[in-house]
Amino acid sequence: MTGEVLTRADISGDQDVFAVRRLGRRIAELVGMESQDQIRMATALSEIGREVLASGAAGHVTFSLAEDRVVVTVEYGDGHGMRRSEGLTLAGRLVDEVTLAAEEGRVTLVKRVPGHRRSPSAADIRAELAPLAPATALDELREQNKELARTLEEVLRLNGELEETNQGVMALYNQLSAELEETNRGVVALYAELDEKSSQLRSAAEARQRFWASVSHELRLPLTSIIGLVRLMVGQGGQPLSEEQEHQVNLIGSSAETLLGLVGELLDLAKAESGRLDPEPSLVDVVALAEALRGTLHTAVRAEGVGLVIEVSPEVGEMLVDEVMLTRILRNLLSNALKFTQEGEVRLSAEVDPEMAEVVFTISDTGVGIPEEFLERVFEEFFQVPGPLQLKAKGTGLGLPYARRLAEALGGTLELSSRQGEGTTVELRVPHRMASPEIGHVLVADDDAGFRALARRLLFGFAAVVDEAADGYEALERMREHVPDVALVDLFMPRLDGAALRQRMAEDEILREVPVVTVSGALDEQESAHLSLSKHGLRRDRLLETVREAVREAVAARRGGGADD
Amino acid sequence: MERVPILKLGDILIVSIQIDLDDQSVLTLQEDLADTVVSRGARGVIIDITAVEIVDSFIGRMLSTIAAMTRMLDAETVVVGMRPAVAITLVELGLSLGGVRTALNLEKGVVMLEHARSAEG
Repeated sequence: MTGEVLTRADISGDQDVFAVRRLGRRIAELVGMESQDQIRMATALSEIGREVLASGAAGHVTFSLAEDRVVVTVEYGDGHGMRRSEGLTLAGRLVDEVTLAAEEGRVTLVKRVPGHRRSPSAADIRAELAPLAPATALDELREQNKELARTLEEVLRLNGELEETNQGVMALYNQLSAELEETNRGVVALYAELDEKSSQLRSAAEARQRFWASVSHELRLPLTSIIGLVRLMVGQGGQPLSEEQEHQVNLIGSSAETLLGLVGELLDLAKAESGRLDPEPSLVDVVALAEALRGTLHTAVRAEGVGLVIEVSPEVGEMLVDEVMLTRILRNLLSNALKFTQEGEVRLSAEVDPEMAEVVFTISDTGVGIPEEFLERVFEEFFQVPGPLQLKAKGTGLGLPYARRLAEALGGTLELSSRQGEGTTVELRVPHRMASPEIGHVLVADDDAGFRALARRLLFGFAAVVDEAADGYEALERMREHVPDVALVDLFMPRLDGAALRQRMAEDEILREVPVVTVSGALDEQESAHLSLSKHGLRRDRLLETVREAVREAVAARRGGGADD
Repeated sequence: MERVPILKLGDILIVSIQIDLDDQSVLTLQEDLADTVVSRGARGVIIDITAVEIVDSFIGRMLSTIAAMTRMLDAETVVVGMRPAVAITLVELGLSLGGVRTALNLEKGVVMLEHARSAEG
């Protein structure tokens, strides 16, 4: 009759009643009762449970499953009190059978399971109930407590791990920052060292300049007195000298003059070195200059059968250049060439390179040439290529370096090529400046110093003033100081790039009128947009044409704007 | 012991029961409700038992008690949200919740209270 026991539970308080009725409902569900019956079962248990509590006793509930019914037995301990009370009556209306065995202190509830539902076995139901097993609230609490403790332990463990990881990270961080600091210190020290080195170098260079300048001055003075005294001695009105004496005195005089020439060259070079060469351009007729050179160098032609050929292309005509400097360079180069040529010819030719707008002077000889290993060294001061001819010829080894400095001061270049035994060719390029510049002030904004130098060279003679800026901010500053007639702007610059610079210019009251030509290293020339240039293969004529166009457009726009007002 | 919160909406108090009520909680709720009706001058009380699955004679008596008590304090009580299974069980138990008005849900409960009031007004 009682069947198989499913589970047991105790009733000792309100919460236990709830637990028991939840349990009852779950069992009803598991054995296959419909939901209304589940509620009935739970409500009946609730009534009985409260009745047990009201009688002041503690109860012990056993759920069991017989063939077609669920049997719930409630034993309420001490047997005191519970007669056929209201709770029992009410419960009786909800379940199929309620029996009270008062003398044994036991109430039995029976609820039939509808036949058409095949209920699972008691074992299955027990397995299902297992998770609910601590049916009393106290047990549940205890279980929850345990779980909480476990979770707490886990949290503590995780915390510990985290702390450990944290410590590791901190240690790593400290180590890294210490290393970084050390590297930093190293860098700072290196910087200081470099600073010191460069200032040492600077002061050494300054000292050298000072030395040269003062030595040259000090040397010149006694030399001129020697020469003057020699002239007095051999000149008319002096005491007559014996032939031998006169010869010796003349030797003294010519040596002193040679020395004076050398000192003069030294002084020039010192001046060039300290960058104090300021060209004073004037209109120079190149043909006349070349002829004058031929006259002065005529005496310098040493060997018989060495011809001096001068060819000046008629298109060179007149050019704006410092005449003294150009003459010095050419004389230096020509006398060098004549010195080291024993047969053949020395040729000076001058023509215009329209692409770069430069006059190219080429001095070629058929002389001894320069061995390859000395090609660069000939531009060092006091260097002379060793050889028999060089021993015979007087020289300081200052000619070429001086010529190169002068060429640079003129805004040009000096290149030398040579083959031993076949001769030497020197190419001097000087900007072919027009009579008067076309445009006033050009600003070149580019972080690439090489390009700025190129632009300056290309604009030489075309623009009166070329200003440079290494980035957008500097360009803005320069333009505010002195508003240019046109700005050449590189698209890619640090700090403020070309596009941003144009934006800033457009926002400025005054600078918005400045025409801009953009330059970029990336664009193909064919693909260049309007008023923009590619750095690759930039030619002077194209640059000048674009600049002219920009200026034209700006002027037209200003007129148009004026008409609108 | 858990306290059941009492919400105020205009002059209506709303009590939503979400837990299994034990004796102590029921007593506390009755006291709280009486105090609040007086202090707020509430004219209606709605007890929402949507979440309650099992209503036994104890809970039934509690609802009747509350209804009678609030009526003495000039507030009508409406029980709303009763589940069908609960209703069936209550009838089977022979409890009719005498003197307790019911409505299907909270909204209808509010309407019912307002009607009652305008009828009085």
